[in-house]
Amino acid sequence: MRRLSFFFAALALAAFALAPAFGQGLTAAQQANLKASLAVDTSVLKSADGQQLLAPSKDNRKVPTRPADPNKLPETDPLHWYDMEWAGWNVTPTNIPKSPGDGAIGKKVIMIVHGDHPWTTACILGAQKVADMYKWDFKAQSPNWDLVKQNQLIDQAINEKPDMILLIPLDAKAAIQQARKINAAKIPLHMFNTLPDNAALNYSLGWTGPDDFGQFRLLARAWSDELMKRNPGASTIGVAYVQHNPGGSPFFARSFGPISELATYNRKIKTLVMASPTPAAFDANTTMQLVSDWLTKYGKDLKGICASDDSAQSLGIFQALEKAGRTDVVVVAAGNSKQGMDLVKDGKLFGITYQTAEGDGALSAQTAADWFNGKGYPTRKNLAQHVITKADVDKFYPPQW
Amino acid sequence: MRSSGRSSLLALGDKYRIYILFVVVFAVMSLTAPKFFNVLNFTAIFNAVTMNATVAIGFTVVMICGQLDLSIGSVISFAGVLTMGLQPVLGFAGSIAVAVAGGALVGLFNGLLVTKAKINSFIVTLGTMTILQGSIYQFSGGNSISVTTDEVFKISDFLSKNIVPLITPQVLLTIVLVLVVEFVLRRTRVGRNFYIVGGNRTTAWLAGVPTDNYLNSAFVLSGVTAAIGGVVSVLVSTAATLKLGENSLMYVISATIIGGTAMSGGKGGVLRSVVAIMTLEMLYTGIILFGLGNEVKIFLAGLILAYVVLYEAYAVYRHEKALGQRPELMKELAERASAARSRKSAGA
Repeated sequence: MRRLSFFFAALALAAFALAPAFGQGLTAAQQANLKASLAVDTSVLKSADGQQLLAPSKDNRKVPTRPADPNKLPETDPLHWYDMEWAGWNVTPTNIPKSPGDGAIGKKVIMIVHGDHPWTTACILGAQKVADMYKWDFKAQSPNWDLVKQNQLIDQAINEKPDMILLIPLDAKAAIQQARKINAAKIPLHMFNTLPDNAALNYSLGWTGPDDFGQFRLLARAWSDELMKRNPGASTIGVAYVQHNPGGSPFFARSFGPISELATYNRKIKTLVMASPTPAAFDANTTMQLVSDWLTKYGKDLKGICASDDSAQSLGIFQALEKAGRTDVVVVAAGNSKQGMDLVKDGKLFGITYQTAEGDGALSAQTAADWFNGKGYPTRKNLAQHVITKADVDKFYPPQW
Repeated sequence: MRSSGRSSLLALGDKYRIYILFVVVFAVMSLTAPKFFNVLNFTAIFNAVTMNATVAIGFTVVMICGQLDLSIGSVISFAGVLTMGLQPVLGFAGSIAVAVAGGALVGLFNGLLVTKAKINSFIVTLGTMTILQGSIYQFSGGNSISVTTDEVFKISDFLSKNIVPLITPQVLLTIVLVLVVEFVLRRTRVGRNFYIVGGNRTTAWLAGVPTDNYLNSAFVLSGVTAAIGGVVSVLVSTAATLKLGENSLMYVISATIIGGTAMSGGKGGVLRSVVAIMTLEMLYTGIILFGLGNEVKIFLAGLILAYVVLYEAYAVYRHEKALGQRPELMKELAERASAARSRKSAGA
């Protein structure tokens, strides 16, 4: 009897010790949470414009091999931009925490964005929709474009010991130390929207967001086709680029993306000029003055304009075109604000990129949820790409911002 | 008696206004804002204010002298860009020295234009601000500049790590600078002369104070502290962004005024400005912890500024009213003047 009770005690002890191995180290409550989390279906969510919030990307391009020194290649060569366009694909993961695999429901997640803007509001709303599905303790904070304040928010977020920090880096280079700091505190980090320096991604679970280069390559092809249609028989077609704020990845992606794409897709298109309106890149009046100068200088040779923004910049461009009495210039831009979509609908803007703000926030949140659920974590995941033209603009109303 | 007690209470309130405001904001946020009252949060707040607090030291001295320095934001960015941009060539010791010396030179340039060319400091420093902004873009090619060596990460980690609870090396540096300048201003003849220059430049000059030297020194100090603020900030974040100092100008001006430094000069203090920065930072942090937006932050900062300006106006009104309520003084003055006239006519 004594031996029997000893046997049962040993059996119970062994069962207790081995139980985690069978249930991947999870308690019964955690397993139930995982099961419930995996059952959550976020594919039913819609953004304000009626689109699927988490639309899968159809981009199936293969990641090219990195040239020995991309900077030695000409700027018209797509591989010159390799470290920006393909940032995140070649990282060395450093002290990346392992997924608890205990389910996404009930996690505490802090999102730190870059600044206050209607786009940001829509982005946070998208993330909130996913957070609500998983019943997260979720909060989003904004440093209002101030790097010192963003560093403070990161410190405060670390102090709160959340299950995950979602970060839009305010500055690509400063993101390295921010990511190191969060990583050192053993808090999982996911970066999204703006691309940080490649080194920052060593400390991040991954990155999700718009593939600016990819989007603009797509836009460039549509733009080129329209330019050829409107200028049949032309030997060269002059175009100009209104650039983003200097320094960030959009500054390069939204001008050198199409330039390097058109260098192979349509050699008839020649870049006449490119500049960022100063002192304010996103000011209609400043853009109008810049484009008016171009129209005076290049006259009829200027057949197309590619803008980094479909609201203030595009309004400035069309003010300048109207003053010059030009209706032949094909204008495309990064989108998709209400102003931009209205301009497309009016037939002024030929095309804009579909940059879903809600989808951007939602994708970052969903990727985090997948990690909590123990699913594979992509180093980099792009948002779905699309070019909105007059033919399909109505599908995207009401606008997200 | 009752009235006298009330007025001395008001006088005390006037004198310690910023400290009272600090305590009120601290108490309200500690009691109401979620996760506000903890050491880690205060460490984050201390770290966040170091740049603007350092910058406010020199700026306050310029304002005590009755002048304005609008170039501080650009000097912050300029020093930051120089620190990171020159590091590969000069090493950190060299690049930091050049950055701080650059700040001093900008300050001297401002000071000389104000004192020798007799140009209004608002115009001079507005010009310097614009020139520096252009230089920064020229130097950096429009990009942020970073150094991604182990050395810079170690420096950053060191500057952000607590040496004692709440205090990191970057905070300690600011505290030392504040205490030294506050001591000089309050306890030395040189310091008091800054107030005399700001109070009435002509009187100061008649009293033998070399006013131009003091004004030049104030601008140099402002350039140096702005540069130090920029240097420390980029060392912590390991990157020099072109817009680093963009938000500092309005922030520091507001804090200095809220702290009680008079725009007309002759009144104020460095410690008071720094306490005002701490107060604003606690308020902003509380707003964030409440989950409120930037618009609330701007609104409340504006509200405090408006309160302070109105309070100052009310204090002046009360002071003048108090003078008017003592007719015996006016009577005595009139009698003296009359006696003097009588003596003069008798003598004639």
